[in-house]
Amino acid sequence: MLSATLPTGAAFVREHLRTPLTLVMLIAIPAFFVLVFASVLGEFSEALGGTLASQSATAISAGWATAFLCGALAFFQVSSSRGADRRLAAAGLGPLRVASSRILAALAIGLTISAVAFVTLWLRSGIAHPLHAFAAIFAFAATYIGIGAVIGAFVKGQLEGSLLVVLVFSVDAFSDPQMTSNGLIAETPTQNAANLLVAAGGAQGSPPGDWVGAGSIALAALAVALAAFWTSARTRA
Amino acid sequence: MSARARTATAMAFRDQRRRPLVLILLVIVPAYVITRSIAETLPTPRDVGLPGGVLVHTTMKDVHGAEMGGVTIAFVVALVGVFVMQSALEGDRRLVLAGFRPGEAVLARLAVLLAATAVVVGVSALVTALSFDAASWPEVIAALVLIGLIYGGIGALAGALLDKLAATYLMLFLAMTDVGIVQSPMFSTTPGRFAVLLPAYGPSRLMYEGAFSTSFQAAGELALGLAWLAALSVGVYVVLRRAVRAG
Repeated sequence: MLSATLPTGAAFVREHLRTPLTLVMLIAIPAFFVLVFASVLGEFSEALGGTLASQSATAISAGWATAFLCGALAFFQVSSSRGADRRLAAAGLGPLRVASSRILAALAIGLTISAVAFVTLWLRSGIAHPLHAFAAIFAFAATYIGIGAVIGAFVKGQLEGSLLVVLVFSVDAFSDPQMTSNGLIAETPTQNAANLLVAAGGAQGSPPGDWVGAGSIALAALAVALAAFWTSARTRA
Repeated sequence: MSARARTATAMAFRDQRRRPLVLILLVIVPAYVITRSIAETLPTPRDVGLPGGVLVHTTMKDVHGAEMGGVTIAFVVALVGVFVMQSALEGDRRLVLAGFRPGEAVLARLAVLLAATAVVVGVSALVTALSFDAASWPEVIAALVLIGLIYGGIGALAGALLDKLAATYLMLFLAMTDVGIVQSPMFSTTPGRFAVLLPAYGPSRLMYEGAFSTSFQAAGELALGLAWLAALSVGVYVVLRRAVRAG
């Protein structure tokens, strides 16, 4: 299975990056996002009654940049490739191998976005616990790959889908306990990853509960994304 | 308007009616983001510099009340612009091959973009009014319309020139940076030196003046915003005409 998944996954990555400007955006936007938003996010959190110190606010900007970019990426992956994936599956690759290749491509691009956000964060303000921070940023990426893929599986229109990604992202960001003193939603998908990232930015350790929570949500999101890619490759339009 | 242009416009709106989720989201996204962000903000003191050198003493909550409509409209309408342009690139070439004039097909798409802008601006102004009382609503609404039209144009140009993923990323980043940070008095009493180079400078200054003052001293800023709108309108019309002709 791996012998077919790897080259197909690589082809899917090339498919996304065949427009040079998309590649530029994938590198430039997370870097700019971290640089621009890092300086204001602490002040923004304070206005909302949150508790983010400026070093931690800088760190969380990397997580959110990665989250939105990966959510939009996974949505467009499912939404734009439905027809092609069905044909690939019918031609002998099978829906599971197509879905695995799509996940592989999404993870490879998500890893690149996470790495750009991480390096920008490190260069800008230094990170006390770099490994913790990278793991947390990648958890944001994996979680939103799941969210974007699910939206793509259910919503065909590209405007509707991208607006839904924005809506989920807004609910998540505005409900993060560290950004607000009045979170209406007790649990959000990136809450544990945000705790890890904030702790890493503020040179603190993290409780095991946050590691287990962020890891479980990231794995569950990837499983859901695999199911979404699989459904999209096997069903008819 | 010719019969063909009327038909193209009616078909473009029928196409939108088949996708009710778009309309629902054009209402829900601004309503949620604006209401939630104003409700969450604390009334900590804040000074805001207005056109004409006027300085007003207000709160972060009111600054957020004045600002969030502009930020949300910029991003949502820019996304509509991106996908209206993508639809035009996919379908309207066939209309032109079938005998429509490029201008007729273009007018139909622009009418959809204008209608979406009207919906988003209307919802945003309404939900803002539930939580925030502007000193001069006509000025605020004029500014919101201008922000919507300018960002709709930028979105349409991005939709023509970039892949949809790259265009979506760019619109998020540009709208948040320009309207949400560079022009925002949440982070600086008056916009920085280079803020004037960005498209939302004129309408944002107009918006904050309308929010916090009954006097009108933002004529220059209004003119700058209108100049951006005129330039973008010409750009979008030319690019769309070329796009539907090509192929």
